[in-house]
Amino acid sequence: MSPTRSIAIARTTARLVIKDPSVTIIMIVMPLIFVGFLKPSLEAQLQQQGYAGVSGAQAGVPGLAVMFAFLSIQTVCMIFFREHFWGTWQRVRAAGATGGELVIGKAGPLVIVILAQMAVVFAASAWLFDYRVTGSMLALGLLLTGIALSVVSMGVLVVALLKTLDQAMVVGNMSGMVMAGFGGALAPTSTLPAWAQSIAQVTPTYWGIEGLREVGLDGAQVADILPALGVMGVFTATCVAIAAMRFQPTDTKVGST
Amino acid sequence: MLVIEDVSKSYGQTPVLDGVNLAVPAGRIMGLIGSNGAGKTTLISIAAGLITADAGTVRVGEGRSASVDVASDRRRAAGLVGLAPQELGVYPMLSVRQNLVTFAELAGMGKRATRERVDAVVDALDLAPQLAQRADTLSGGQARRLHTAMALMHRPAVLFLDEPTVGADVAARGAILDVVKELAREGASVIYTTHYLGEVSDLGADVAILHGGSILLTGSVKEVVDAHAAPSVSVVTAGVPPSLPGWRPSPLEGGHTRWDAPVESRTANPTAVLADALSRLGAGTTLEAVDVTPASLESAFLAVTGQRLSAEEVPDVAHA
Repeated sequence: MSPTRSIAIARTTARLVIKDPSVTIIMIVMPLIFVGFLKPSLEAQLQQQGYAGVSGAQAGVPGLAVMFAFLSIQTVCMIFFREHFWGTWQRVRAAGATGGELVIGKAGPLVIVILAQMAVVFAASAWLFDYRVTGSMLALGLLLTGIALSVVSMGVLVVALLKTLDQAMVVGNMSGMVMAGFGGALAPTSTLPAWAQSIAQVTPTYWGIEGLREVGLDGAQVADILPALGVMGVFTATCVAIAAMRFQPTDTKVGST
Repeated sequence: MLVIEDVSKSYGQTPVLDGVNLAVPAGRIMGLIGSNGAGKTTLISIAAGLITADAGTVRVGEGRSASVDVASDRRRAAGLVGLAPQELGVYPMLSVRQNLVTFAELAGMGKRATRERVDAVVDALDLAPQLAQRADTLSGGQARRLHTAMALMHRPAVLFLDEPTVGADVAARGAILDVVKELAREGASVIYTTHYLGEVSDLGADVAILHGGSILLTGSVKEVVDAHAAPSVSVVTAGVPPSLPGWRPSPLEGGHTRWDAPVESRTANPTAVLADALSRLGAGTTLEAVDVTPASLESAFLAVTGQRLSAEEVPDVAHA
C-alpha cells in the first residue's frame, strides 16, 4: 500500500467534489428546510417528553442530519462509478494503484465531506433554530465521525457488490432511507411497532440519532455514547470486511445511467 | 526495453492470445497491427499490468537482471510504464492542468518536477492555451491530446498507445506522432496500435502483425513490404455472383460483394489479373467498383493474414 498514491487519488477526489458540490449543498440545505417547518410540532413532542422550553431543533436536527448523511451514499457510489464512465479507473490502475489505494483515496475525502456536511447542518441550526449542545462537544464530534464512517463504508460496500450505477443509486438511496426510518429520523423510535424497534437496535442510524439527541438534550458525555460508537464501529467494520472480500478493481462497472 | 514471452490469455473457452512473443528495444517504436478482435488491447492490458496472463511473462526495463516482471512487481513496473488506452480517459470536470497533475502525483513526482513536466508536455502537444480549461470543454482533438499527455507525465520507459489517433483531427494526429517520435529518441520503447497504417510508416516504426492470437511476423516496414506485399486487386459486384475461381468474396452493405484476387495471383501483372476478372463477369452481374492497390503495408497484411485490416481501412474504390 503506497500512501503517495492514496494521497494522490484523495487529492483528485477532493478536486472532483469541489468542482461539483451541488449534491453536498443539497444535503445541507434540505435538512435545514425540514427543521424549519417541523420545529413547532417537534417542540410540542419535546414538551410531552418533559423537555419544556426547548427548541424543536434539538429533536429534529439529529434525525434529519443523519438521514441526509445516509442519503449521501449516492455521492460515494457516484465517485466510484464515474471513474469507470470517464475511463479513468483503468488509467489510475495502470499507474500502479491497487484496489486498497483506490478505495482509501476515494473514501477518505468522502468521510471528511460527509462529516463537514453534518457539521454545517448542526452549526447552521444553532444559528437559525437555536439548536444547543448541552453535552460534550467531543462526544458530538465522535458521533458525527462514526456516522460519516458508517455512511462511507456502506457506500463502498454497495460499490463492491453492484455492477451498475443504476443499481447502486437505487440500493444506496433505498437502504439509506430505510435505515433512517428505522433509526428514528422520521418519527421517534418509541412510536414505531415493536418489530421495527427491534430492527432499529442493529442500525447505525438509531444509535447515531439517539446519541446525538442525548448530547443535545441530556448533556451526554463521551462515556455515555460509547455504546453508540461501538455499534457504529461494528457496522463500519462489517461493511469494510465484506467490501474487502468482494471488491475487485478489475471488475467492469457500468458507470452511466 | 519491453520483452513479452509466450503470453497466452483466454476469456472462458475463447483463446485470445496464444504464445505471443515480442520484444521492443529501448528507443524503438513497434506498430502493433491486427484486425479488430485480434487481441491487441488484451496484449497491451497484460503488458501494462491491468490484467494477468494465463501464461507467459512481460518484463520492462533494461537488461534481464534489472528489468521488472510486470505481473509480480506491479508497483515498480507501473513507474516504468505509461498507458493511453483506446477509450478516452480524462477527468471531464478537471482542467487540463489538474488532469496532468493527477498523474504526476500518482507517479510520486514532486511539485517542481510536475510543474516543469506539465509545461513540457503541453508545449509538445500544443495544449498550452488550454491549460486552465476544463477537459469537458475541449475539442475532440484537444481531448485526445490530453489523453495521450497524461500517459507521458512520468517519462515512462515503456509506452503503450492503443489507437491514440482515433477521433483525432489532423493537427492532433501530427502532434501525437511528433511526441511519440521524440519519446523514442529519448530512449522509450513504444508499442503503438493503429488501424491507420500510414502512421506506422510516418513513425519510422517496426511492425508486428498480430493475428489469430499470435504474432505472425515482425520487422521494419520496408522488410515486411519487401517480403510480403504485392499489389492487391479487388472488384465489387452486385447482382448475380460472378465465377471468379480462387477469389475471396466479402459481403458489403447494400447487397454488394467485394472479391479479392487470390494472393498467388498478385505477383502477376495486376492489370492482367483485373482484366481477367472483368472478362468473367456475366449477364446479371453489375460491376460497382474496382480497386488496384500497390504494394504496401496494407497489402502485406492482407497477404500474411488473408484479411484486410478493417472495413474502415479499405481505400475508396474507383467506381467503374
